[in-house]
Amino acid sequence: MLFNFDWLLLLSIVLLSIAGITAIWSTTEGTSLNTYFGKQVVYLCLGLLIFLALLYFDYHIFSDFIVFIYLAGLIVLGLVLVIGESSYSNKSWINVGIFSFQPSELVKIAVIIALAKYYSELDMDYVGFRELLMGGLIVFIPVLLVILQGDLGTAVTFLPIYAALSFLAGIKKKHIIALLIIFIAAAPIGWFLLRGYQKSRIETVFNPSSDPHRSGYQTIQSEIAIGSGKFLGKGFKRGSQGNLGFLPARHTDFVFAVLAEEKGFVGGFAVLSLFLLVSYRLYRIALEAKEKNGSMIVVGVLTLFLFHVIINLGMVVGLLPIAGIPLPFVSAGGSSLVSYYAAMGLCMNIWIRRYVN
Amino acid sequence: MVLQQEANKQLIHQRLSLFRFPVLFVFLILAARLWQLQIIHGSEYALKAERNRVRRIELVAPRGEILDRNRKLLVENRTSSDVLLYREWMKDKNAAVQFLEQKLEVSAEDIEKRFHRGKSAGLYYPIVIKEDAGMRDISVIEAYRGEFPEIQISLKFRRRYCYGNLAAHVLGYVGEITEAEIEANRFPGAKPGSVVGQSGVERSYNQLLTGRDGERQVFVDSRGREVGLIGETDPLIGSELQLTLDLDLQLIAERALAEKVGAIVAMDPRNGEILAMASSPSFDPNAFSSRISEEAWRSLTQHPDHPMQNRAIQNSYSPGSIFKLIMAVAGLEEGMLDGDPSVNCRGYAVYYGRIYRCASKTGHGPIKLEQAIAKSCNVFFYELGKKLGISRIARHAQAFGLGQPTGIDLPGERQGIMPSPEWKMKARGSAWYAGETISVSIGQGAVNTTPLQILRAVSAIATGGNLVTPHVLLAVDKNDGGSVEWPVKKIPIAERNVHKIREGMWQSVNNWGTGHNAAVPGLDICGKTGTAQVIGSDKGRDLGEEAEDHSWFAGYANKDDPEIAVVVFIEHGGKGGVASAPIAKELFSAYLEKQKPKSITGDESRTSMFKESTRGGPLPFQAKND
Repeated sequence: MLFNFDWLLLLSIVLLSIAGITAIWSTTEGTSLNTYFGKQVVYLCLGLLIFLALLYFDYHIFSDFIVFIYLAGLIVLGLVLVIGESSYSNKSWINVGIFSFQPSELVKIAVIIALAKYYSELDMDYVGFRELLMGGLIVFIPVLLVILQGDLGTAVTFLPIYAALSFLAGIKKKHIIALLIIFIAAAPIGWFLLRGYQKSRIETVFNPSSDPHRSGYQTIQSEIAIGSGKFLGKGFKRGSQGNLGFLPARHTDFVFAVLAEEKGFVGGFAVLSLFLLVSYRLYRIALEAKEKNGSMIVVGVLTLFLFHVIINLGMVVGLLPIAGIPLPFVSAGGSSLVSYYAAMGLCMNIWIRRYVN
Repeated sequence: MVLQQEANKQLIHQRLSLFRFPVLFVFLILAARLWQLQIIHGSEYALKAERNRVRRIELVAPRGEILDRNRKLLVENRTSSDVLLYREWMKDKNAAVQFLEQKLEVSAEDIEKRFHRGKSAGLYYPIVIKEDAGMRDISVIEAYRGEFPEIQISLKFRRRYCYGNLAAHVLGYVGEITEAEIEANRFPGAKPGSVVGQSGVERSYNQLLTGRDGERQVFVDSRGREVGLIGETDPLIGSELQLTLDLDLQLIAERALAEKVGAIVAMDPRNGEILAMASSPSFDPNAFSSRISEEAWRSLTQHPDHPMQNRAIQNSYSPGSIFKLIMAVAGLEEGMLDGDPSVNCRGYAVYYGRIYRCASKTGHGPIKLEQAIAKSCNVFFYELGKKLGISRIARHAQAFGLGQPTGIDLPGERQGIMPSPEWKMKARGSAWYAGETISVSIGQGAVNTTPLQILRAVSAIATGGNLVTPHVLLAVDKNDGGSVEWPVKKIPIAERNVHKIREGMWQSVNNWGTGHNAAVPGLDICGKTGTAQVIGSDKGRDLGEEAEDHSWFAGYANKDDPEIAVVVFIEHGGKGGVASAPIAKELFSAYLEKQKPKSITGDESRTSMFKESTRGGPLPFQAKND
C-alpha cells in the first residue's frame, strides 16, 4: 500500500499549505489578525488527520451511503439558514462548539460523490436529456440552499462540477445547446440576484481605474503588490503592500498577492507549478481509477480544485472579477482547507485501491 | 464486465484528454501575467508600492507678516482647522453625509458640490468639507472618530487682517489660486491649492510674502496612519513686509471717509512713501481667508459703489480746479505770466461764442495769479489756457505725471487721461475744438486723473519739481528696503515760479481762500480745492440733474519744508472747500499731533491712537470673521 501511495501529490498539497501558512504569518503577525496563523496550523493538522483517516475506508462505502450523506448535507444547509452566523453579507457559517464551520464546503464533496454515483450507475455511453435533468436536480437543490444563504460565490462553484461530470458521462451536442439556452435564459435572472457591489466588481474588471476608490482599489492594490515583488520578491515580512494593509483580504482571498510580493516571480511561479502538478496527479488518478465511479469522483474534485485556483488567481492578477473565492490549500480558512484535505483523501483512496477488486 | 470496464476507461480517457490543453493553456496565461506584472512592469509597480506607503505631507509655509511703518502688526496668520474627508475610508456615504449635515451644519447640497469638485483627485486626496471649523465641530468629530474614521481635521494657516476693513485696498486679500491663474502661470511656483495674493500688497508682493513650503516624508499604512518618519524639511515663513503706512493716520483717514464714497491719500512728498491710503466703501479681507460664499462675493462685486475698487488709484475723475496748479506751472514756465499780469474777472467770459462762468457770480475783479489760485478764479485760467493752447498745457501736465501711471507698487493702477489733439484724434477720431481747451483749463472736459496722480503732482510742486514714485513698501525683513530704488524724476522748473504757486496755495488755505477749512494752527499748509462738475451720467449710471459735484482738496505742509502731502476726494461731495478741506485738516492735525515730543511719562499709548494689536488678543477694530 505504501508503494501505491502518491507521495508527490501529498507533498505538493502540504507544500502549498506551508506556503500559505508562511504568507499568513508574514502578513498578520503583530496585527489584530495574528490568530489566523495558529488556527491555520491547527487546521492543517486536522486536515492531514482526516486525509489519513479517509484512506482507511474503501471509498465505495461513501458511494453506498451517499443518499444519507447527501440528505444529511441538505439538512445541515437548511439548518444554517435558521441558526447560521453571518460573516460579511453571507449567512453560511455554522458554529460547532469551539469553531465556526462553513458546511457548504463539505456539501460540495457530497454532491460530487452523489452525481458520480448517479451517472456511473446509468452505465450508458451517452446520457439522455432526462438523466441530465436528474443530475441537474442533484446539484440544484443544494445550490438553491446556498444561494438562499446569500453565498453566491460558493453556489457558482457547483456549476462546473455539474458540467464536467455530465460531459464525462457523455453529453450530446444538442443537449449542450439545450442546457446553454436554459443557462442564457437564466442569466438575466442571475444578474438580478447579484447585489450592487457584485455588479460593480464585474464592471471594474473591464476598467479598474474607473473607480479607484472602490472596487477597482482591490485589483489595483493586488497588481501593485504582485508587480512590485519583481523577480525575487521583497523577502519575508518585507512586503509593504501586505504588511501596511494596502492589500485587502491579504490572508484569505488575496494571499497569493502576498506570496508574489514577498517571494517574487520565482515564488509565484513555484506555487503555480505546484497547482499544475496537483492537477496532473489528480488527472492521472482519474485515468487509472478502477471504475467509472472512481474516475468521476476524482474529476469532480479536480474540477472544483481547478475552478477555485483559476478564478482566485485570475482575480488576484487582475484578469477576472473580484469574487470571494479562496485559493485551495493556501488561503486562511478552516472549512476550505479541511474540505480539500478530505477531498484529496478521497482521491488518494481511489488511487491506492485502483487494482483492488 | 471487465470488457465493459475497459470500454468505459477508453471513453473516459478520450473525454478527459480533451481538457489537458485548455487547462495547460490557462496556466500558461497565468504565468505570462505574472511575468508581465513582475518582470516587464516590475519597476513601475515597485514605484507605485513605494508611493503607496511613502506619503509626502506638505507643510504649507505661513505668509509673511505685514507691519505698518512703526512696526505695528497689520496682517498676521492664524491657525485654523479644516474638516477633511478621505473617500477611501468611507464605509457608508449616506451615513457620513447625514452626520456632516446634522452635526457640522454643512448642507448636503454643498457636500455634493465638494464631492463633485474632488472627483478627479487621486487616491488619498481628501475632500475639504468645511473650512475654519470651530472648537465644537472638532470635538464632535473626535467623539465620532470610531464611527467615521474618514472625517479628519487638518491644521492650516489663514490670513488675519488685524483691523478688518482698515487699509483693505492697500493690503489686499488672498485666495486659493484659480485654474486660469495656474494656466497663465501668473504666480510662478504656485501649485493647485496654493493661497496667493489677489489684490493690494498681497498681490504685488506675493512672491516675497510666500514662504517656502516644507515637507514631511513619512511611511503610512493603508489607513493613512504614520508608521515612521523618513525626513522632514521645515517650512520657511514668507518675508516680513514693513509698509510705509502709518496706522494712526490710516485710521483717521478711514474714519473721515466713513459713510462717504471717495478716497484719501497721505504721502511724504519728499520720497513718495504713502502714509495713509483709504478708499470707501471698503470690504473686510478676512472674509476671503476662508472660502467666501457666492452671495457674499456677489454682493461685493456687484455693489453699485464697487467696494473692491481702490478709488485712490483704480478710478479716475475730473480734477476740477486743482488742475489750475498745472496751468500755473505751464503759464509761468512758458513766460505767459511774465510781469505778473492781472485779469479782470466779471464772473464769466465769452470764448468762441459761448459763455464760460466763474465760481464767483459777481466776479473777482482784477486778479493776479496768487489770488486766482487762492480764490480759484476760473476766468483768469480761461484766459491763460487760451493763450497757452492745449499742446503746451498737455506737455506740462504730462511732465507732472498726469495721464500716466504713477508706478505705485499696487496692482491695477489707472492711467487717467491728459487730453491733447493727438489723443482726441486717436481715441475719439475727431479734431480738437478750441473751446475744449477752455474747459481743460479748469480741469473739466476730458481730463481724468486718479487722486494719487493729483497728490504726486502737488508733491512735485511742494518739492520744487521732484516727481516721486509713490510706494507702500518700506522694508523687507527689517532690511531697510535699501534694495528697492524708487525713481525720482526731476521736472525742470524755475524755483521762483514754484514759489509763486506755493504762495497762491498758501493763501488759499490761510488767507480766506477756498481752502481755508483745511487750516491748522501750527502748520504752514498749502492747498488747492477742486469742485468737478458731474455731467449727466457717470459710468452709465444715471445721476439726474441734481447730481452733486465731485469734491477735491490737495495740499501739503509745511510751505517751505514739505513733510506731508494729502489728497482728499469725495464722490458727489459738493464743493471741495466744504466737503474735502475739513477732512484734510483732520489729517494734518493728526500728523502735527504725532510730531509733538512724546509726553514725559513715556506712555506709548498716548501717541498711538490705539494699542498695537497683540496676537490672538482682542481687536480694537473688530474683524468680522473671527
